[in-house]
Formats: sequence, C-alpha cells, structure tokens
Amino acid sequence: MFDSVRNNKKIVQIFLGLITLPFAFWGVDSYVRNAGVGDDIAKVGGTKISVQQFEQALRERQDQMRQTYGASFKPEMMNVPEVRLGILNSMIDQRLFMLEAEKKKLYVQDGALRDVISKIPALQEDGKFSMERYESALRSQGMSQPQFEAKLRQDLMLQQLIGAVADSAFVSTSQSEAMLRLQAEERQFGEFRVSAAQFADKVSIEQAAVQKFYDDNKSKFEVPEQVKAEFAVLSLDALLKQATVSEAELKSWYESHKDKFAQPEERRASHILILANGESDKAKAKEKAESLLKQVQAAPAKFAELARQSSQDPGSAQKGGDLGFFGRGMMVKPFEDTVFAQKEGDISGVVESEFGYHIIKLTGIKAAKVRPMEDVRSEIEAELKRQTATRKFAEAAEAFSNMVYEQSESLQPAADQFKLTLQKSGWIQKDSAPQAMAALGPLANEKVLSALFSQDALKDKRNTEAVEIAPNTLLAARVVEHVPASVKPFETVKADVEKLLRAQEAAALAKKAGEESLAELKQGKDALSWSPIKVASRLKGGQLPPPVMRSIFKADTQKLPAYVGAEQGGDYVLYKIVKVSQPEKIDEAARKQMQAEYGAIVAKEDLSAYLSGLRARYQVEINASMLGAEAKDQQ
Amino acid sequence: MATYDLEEQEQLAEIKAWWKQYGGLITNLLTAAALVILAWQGWNWYQRNQAAQAGVVFNALQQAVQVGDSQRVKAASGELLEKFGGTAYAPLGALSAAKAMVEAGDAKTAKLQLIWVAENGKDELRDLGRLRAASLLSDEKEFEQALKQLEGESTPGFAARFAELRGDILLAQGKKGEAETAYQKAMSALSSASENNGAQKVEQGWQLQSNAVQRELLQQKIDSLGESKQ
Repeated sequence: MFDSVRNNKKIVQIFLGLITLPFAFWGVDSYVRNAGVGDDIAKVGGTKISVQQFEQALRERQDQMRQTYGASFKPEMMNVPEVRLGILNSMIDQRLFMLEAEKKKLYVQDGALRDVISKIPALQEDGKFSMERYESALRSQGMSQPQFEAKLRQDLMLQQLIGAVADSAFVSTSQSEAMLRLQAEERQFGEFRVSAAQFADKVSIEQAAVQKFYDDNKSKFEVPEQVKAEFAVLSLDALLKQATVSEAELKSWYESHKDKFAQPEERRASHILILANGESDKAKAKEKAESLLKQVQAAPAKFAELARQSSQDPGSAQKGGDLGFFGRGMMVKPFEDTVFAQKEGDISGVVESEFGYHIIKLTGIKAAKVRPMEDVRSEIEAELKRQTATRKFAEAAEAFSNMVYEQSESLQPAADQFKLTLQKSGWIQKDSAPQAMAALGPLANEKVLSALFSQDALKDKRNTEAVEIAPNTLLAARVVEHVPASVKPFETVKADVEKLLRAQEAAALAKKAGEESLAELKQGKDALSWSPIKVASRLKGGQLPPPVMRSIFKADTQKLPAYVGAEQGGDYVLYKIVKVSQPEKIDEAARKQMQAEYGAIVAKEDLSAYLSGLRARYQVEINASMLGAEAKDQQ
Repeated sequence: MATYDLEEQEQLAEIKAWWKQYGGLITNLLTAAALVILAWQGWNWYQRNQAAQAGVVFNALQQAVQVGDSQRVKAASGELLEKFGGTAYAPLGALSAAKAMVEAGDAKTAKLQLIWVAENGKDELRDLGRLRAASLLSDEKEFEQALKQLEGESTPGFAARFAELRGDILLAQGKKGEAETAYQKAMSALSSASENNGAQKVEQGWQLQSNAVQRELLQQKIDSLGESKQ
C-alpha cells in the first residue's frame, strides 16, 4: 500500500495539499456543513432548515394560536398544507434576510446593543437598568448572557434590513389623491329586478334531462363509507363513582392523619403602635408610648379610642387597633411572645419590636382543637375513593386492554367485568369536518376513527384496541353497522335534481329577459319602473355584493344614464346609473389618511417584492414531500 | 546524527533533488497564494471596518427618523452617502431618509436620495430606489423622467410594482389606453408570480392569498378605466 503512495508521490502530494488547503483557510466545517442533506425540509442559499427547526416553529405557532383562539383552537388547524407552507415560508423569509444581511456585512455595534437592552422596560427598576433583573430574566429564559445577546444582535441586524425596506415605503401625493378619488367616487343608480320566480311556471324539465344530470354528476351524489359503532369507556371518573369506602377504613385513616385536621391555637389582639425610625427616634417614641400606656392603664375601656387617635399602624388604627385572629408565626417575635403569654383582657406594657413600640390588648382566644371526624368525613371519603380508584384504574386499564383484544368478538365481557355501559354512536364518516367531529363525542379521536375504518374492524368485525382518548380514559369500540361508500340511487334524488334544474332554467330565462331589456335600454327605450335612487361608493361599500359593485363601477359612464346588468342570487338585476360624482375638492385630512393606509399596503407589497428578489437570487428548495407527510397521514 | 539505511538515504537524495528542481517554483506559488489571501483578508477587513463605522451613522439616522428630527436625518444620510457610499448602509440609509423627508414635506431632498439609490444601489434596493424616485418625479409632473426610471429590466419580484406604477403615471398623463395595458401587465405578473418560484398548487394558493389586496386595488384601477375599450 505504501509502495503505491511512494510511486505516485506527486499525485499524493498534490492531493494532500488540496485537502488541507480548505482546512487552513475555511476550517473543518466547510466539510461538515454539506453532510446529510436528504432529510431537510428546505434549503436556502446553501443553508438548511431542518425538520426539527420546522417542528419547533410549528409548535411555537401552535402555542400562539392556542393563546389567541383559546378553546376554539383545534390542532387539526395546523395540518392544513397551506398553513404549514405559510409557516415554512416565513422561516425561509427570515433565513433569506439573514443571509442577505450577512452578505451586506450589516453589524450591530456593542454600544447599540447595550442601548437597546438597557431600554427594555422589563429590565428596569425605578426607571433605570438593573443588572440583577437582567440576570434573573436570562435565568428564567434558560439562556446565557452571550447567547441572548447574540440572538438579540441577530434580530436587530435583521431589523435594520427589514425596517429600511418596509418602513421606508410611501405613496406619493398624486398616487394617494388618485386612490382617494377612486375610492370616494359615488354612483347613483336605480335598480330593476327581473326575478327568476316569475319564470318558474314556464319551465318544463324533461325526465331525460334529470337523468342526464344525475349521470353526469354522480360524484355529487356520493355517500362516503359510514359505520355505526358501539363503544365502552373506561375512565378514572367511572371507577371513582363505583369505589366504596368502609366505615372502618374511614376511621383508621382519620386516626392516623389526625395532625392534618388539627387547628392550632389562634388569638385576637388589638394594639397601639408608635413607629421608631432609627436610633435617634427611638427615645422619643418610647417616651410617647409610655405616656400612652399610662393613659390606657388609667382608662382600659378607652383602648380602642386611643388606638384610633394615636396608633401609627394605619391598617389597624381605624379599627380601634384590632388585628383579628392570627396563629403563631404570623407576627414579629416579641409581639407574638407577649400575645401568647397574656390572658384574655390583659393589656401589656410597652413592647419593643423592629417596627417600634406596641401596647397590646388580648381580646380573644380560640383554643387549639382537632376537627371532629364528622366535619371532615366527606373530605376523607373523597380522598380515599380517589386513592382506591387510581390504584384500581392502573390494574383495570391493563386488564381492559387485554380483554378487548383477546375477546375481540364482543365488548360485552369487558363491559360486564368493569361495570361499564355500552354506548351506541350514530352514523360516522371517516373524514368528518371539524364541526361534525364535535358531535362524535368520545369517538372524536383520530386514532379511534382510523381503527374503526380499518380492515380488522370493518371486515373481521373485531374490537378496536383500547385507545387512550384523554388522560386516564380508555376507549374501545367495534363496528355494529357498516355501509360502504355508495351513490344515492336516482329515485331518492330525482326530486332534488329536478328542483335544481328548474331553478337553473328559471335563472337562465331571467337572465335572457334581463339582457333583452338591457339591450333595449341601451337603445334608449326605457319603460321600466325603477327603484328609488341609491348610492354606491367603494369607500362606504357593503350594501352590494362585490360582483355587482364591480359591474356598476366598471360601467362606461361617458354618456348618462348608463345601464348595466348583473346576476344576483338567481335573479337578474338591471342598474340604471344616473349620476357619477367625484369629490370636487380633495379634503387634505382624508388624503393624508389615504396616504397612510395605502402606504401600509404598498409597504407590504415592497417587502414581498424584495423577498421574491432574494428568493430568486439565493436558491430556495422546498422538500414538499416532507411538508405534506403529516397532512397525508391524516386523510 | 541518526544513521539512515540505504533505502532511506536514497529517498533523502531523491527529495533533495526534487526540491532543487521545484523548490523555487513552489515557494513562489506559496508566496503568491499567501499574498492573494492576505489581500483578500485585508479587503474583507477594510470592508468590515467601513461597514462598522457606517453602522454607527446608520444607527444615528434611524434614531433621528424615529424622533422626526429631519435636520439630523439629512446630516446622517449625507454623511453615509459621502463617506460610506460603498457600504450597504448607504442605500438603506437613503431609503429611510427619503421616507422621513417625504413626511417632513421635503420631497425634493427625498427625490435626490432615491435617485442616488437608483443609480448606486444594487439588486432589489436599486429597484426600490427607482420605483420611489419615479413616484416622486410623477408628483412633480416630470412624467418622462419618471417613466425613464422604470425603463429597463427590474429584478423578478418587482415586475408587477413597476408595471402598476407605470400605469399610474400614464393615467396621470391622460393616456388611458396605455395605462390599461400597463395595469393588465401588472395583473398578469401578479397572477404568475408563483410560477416563477417553480412551486406547485399549494404554493400558488398561498401566494394568491397573500397578494389579494394588491390584486383587488389593481382590479379597481382597471375597472375605473371603463368598458369603453372592450
């Protein structure tokens, strides 16, 4: 082997030289980067977007949607290919901006970065940047400082580019004026409806035509495969209802958990507080407290009144010094010690605490006690039932799963064993729309549905496996009735088809009559009784369906009145345009508003034009098979 | 010194002879390669350094734009174009500055900034400059100059925007027929934009959804020209 090296020395040297060169100048990753391309979801200008990155983005979007839509959000919404492609496209856009920003050597200076961080409101304390807050915020995000700053720097870098492209868009004065004229133009018109109903009697539909329509449009009358299912649900809740607890069990649990039901002693006290701030203040405060104490001792009955006047504890002073009931550990130590040593009605001397000086009166005692068994019975019962049921469920779940599998010709044994009621579903289709899914109840589960429509369940009439449809909830089902996909027989749909054809034919006649009138109108023969004049403008919009708006505004109004016609809900409606008016003077405020609105639209257009430029310049490849993979599984 | 056996001595001699013959050439080549790399690194360093300095000015410009200080916007943008005209920050800054100038009512300065981008910018940024310069020129009724900005190829994504603006300008000149042709061209560019991306049906659906507003407004412009031409 080495001989061949020796004999071809020059070639080997050149070869070695060639492979070391890239290491020397571009580092090892110039080799590593291109490895394993096959399973990425997209490639953007030589960099990759991996399936993991895509799924991460998908999850983030899902969380966002869940927050926005709450309970009405369904994960299936994310499985629409368009939605997934939309998310991938925004990832690609992001990547394109990144590549372009790097190519343009955009860079965010340390100073600018610091500036931005110090201005984040969440990191400020008393209006100033706080390093502590910054660090704790980083910890809660699970990021190190360099990581976060690198990410922020990248974001800012992208922002430089995106901002300069999109935020700098505007429309000119003349463009905004033209757009405003277009939007504010008003056209006054009368209408005349040629209704299809009046032709209904004149229409005759041949049997042959009905048959032909049926034959030509069989797919419209297809009924998908349907089943009726029987199912049993084993859940923790069900076991909970069945669980029983004996009196002896209750009692022994109560005895062994008595500490749980013990209520420690609580006392109620009132106080008068004189605050002492710092050493210098102390002597004065103490003096004041002592003089108050003398007043209290002289007239114990006036404690509340004195507290109201002199106590410096704003919370309690109003209430005559009353602090309500409290247990040990809720008050400062010297205070607590005094209170728990007093007898009811006692008034203490001056007690010093970290707040200042207190004079304390004990006003009530609730002795320590244990809640009696009768009080807590239902609590204990619930707790014990839950424990039993949870234990049983773990065992039952396995037994249930085995049973429905082993005795696959019926659910009855499992139902008997676990005291479950067998439930029956209505007709179920395999690909139900989300609304219909809701009506399926517990069967609305992809896994259950696909099991029900599998060969095992349909042909061999076996139970499905037990599927966990929710935490601690298992469901097994079996098919009890099955209708294969079919086309509705002609006889049952004949009447509907005839009705449809009749309506179509009547609409066609209405249209023909309407168009004849229109032609006459255009020749100046107007004998119709028009509706009162109405006004349409794009700005106000709304009153007319978009296609009608279009025909009214498309009409050539060089010569008035002008006539147009449009189909509307089966009828044919004629419009007589009698006046076209544009605002004589453009209101400057309205124009400015239009400039801003139209500018925002144009900003989007510019951004997407810019992006398609980037897309063309950097090669973008989407691995469509990976994108659709999951979506296909669902069908 | 270590002793070599015969074969090794032979090899040594061979290597020496080989070096005598090619050593000079190899040294020269290596030196040349090193020089090229050094120059390349130096050029990169210089560009990076320029970009870093320009970044500081650009930052100042952005801040001035945010607070609406048009004097400072003008100053920062002037500095960018003059001292750092070769960096990417120059066209980016000019675009931002132009918008600020338009808002401050100084369309003339804005126009100059945009024309600079149209002449000195690269790729898509250049097209943004051309497009916006043309719209300001049309405001000044300099229609011929405006149309001139829009002449010639644009980068692929801008075909529709260019055609639509050409339509706006032609309409402002009163050339309804030509305007409609331009609008129709814009419409077909919008509808086929997705095909240029070489994508399938799903992608097309997504694309059509994303530019729906743009197409709607364009359709209104076409409709407003009336049915006279049909």
